[in-house]
Amino acid sequence: MARAREIPGLGPDIPMREAAALTVQTRTSEVFAFADGVLDTADIERVHDMRVATRRLRAALEVFRPCFPKPEFKAVLRDVKDLADALGARRDPDVALAAVEDIMAHLPPQARAGVDAFEDDLHIEQVAGNATLEQALAHATETQLEARLLELAALARTPLPT
Amino acid sequence: MKARKVKGLDPDAPFRENAQKMARVRIDEVWRLGSRSRDPQQKEALHNMRIAAKRLRYLLEITEPCFGRPATKGAKMARGLQDALGEIHDCDVMSERVRARAETVAVDDERYVGLEALATYVEARRRVLHRQFVHFWSDIEQKGVRERLEEDLGAPA
Repeated sequence: MARAREIPGLGPDIPMREAAALTVQTRTSEVFAFADGVLDTADIERVHDMRVATRRLRAALEVFRPCFPKPEFKAVLRDVKDLADALGARRDPDVALAAVEDIMAHLPPQARAGVDAFEDDLHIEQVAGNATLEQALAHATETQLEARLLELAALARTPLPT
Repeated sequence: MKARKVKGLDPDAPFRENAQKMARVRIDEVWRLGSRSRDPQQKEALHNMRIAAKRLRYLLEITEPCFGRPATKGAKMARGLQDALGEIHDCDVMSERVRARAETVAVDDERYVGLEALATYVEARRRVLHRQFVHFWSDIEQKGVRERLEEDLGAPA
């Protein structure tokens, strides 16, 4: 699993809105740095790394929620959640398959016909998950999600109208 | 489970001051679910505690520059809880899926073979994992981890 990058300038005494801007900028860059090759089913760790990075970004958005203007925040958070769900749709069958294969390795072939059929379903889900992820990545590109996130981070620095 | 709203956050106030307010609420969310989660049948409480542990973990990771080592240690503890509860949740999901599939196949059908064994194994593993979780949680409670964490973070209840 990829480690979270250190965030230069982040400290206890800076205003929370500055911490929000710095954190969301860094976590956004991390997410999109993993996008290349994420649809390659031969390299399942790439999906895992992007999913972990997306979780960190989502957590940062939620922690710093009061620093962002509501309409922009809501739209961006929804798109980050959708991307996270798509990464989950791709990753969950990988994990389930690995778990089933690990358990059933101890059974003789004649005692596992039903499990083989169950695994076939998981393989179908894996393919469907990849298609879902492909759509989500295309949507993120079309809607310029990375740029909108960076814009939201910058907006955190501006006090909200009261 | 919706996160409880943290009152009194001020974007213009220092990061640490806000982080203390958030930590107080997120710590309480985890501990409130602790006793119900000792019951292996309380699937919802176990699920909610996993979510609460995840929120606490990420908050402490994000606010590590404010609190230093106590936040790192707290995040590690929360991650331990999240992982333990996550494995239990995975077993619940897998068991439900396998049982649901088995119900669609006749017992004498070749496609039934192995499903019962798989479900039984997953359910047995879940019992073991839950016992391990209870042991882990009891240890956390006995060692006064909550009190120490709140004190170190300057976030007393």
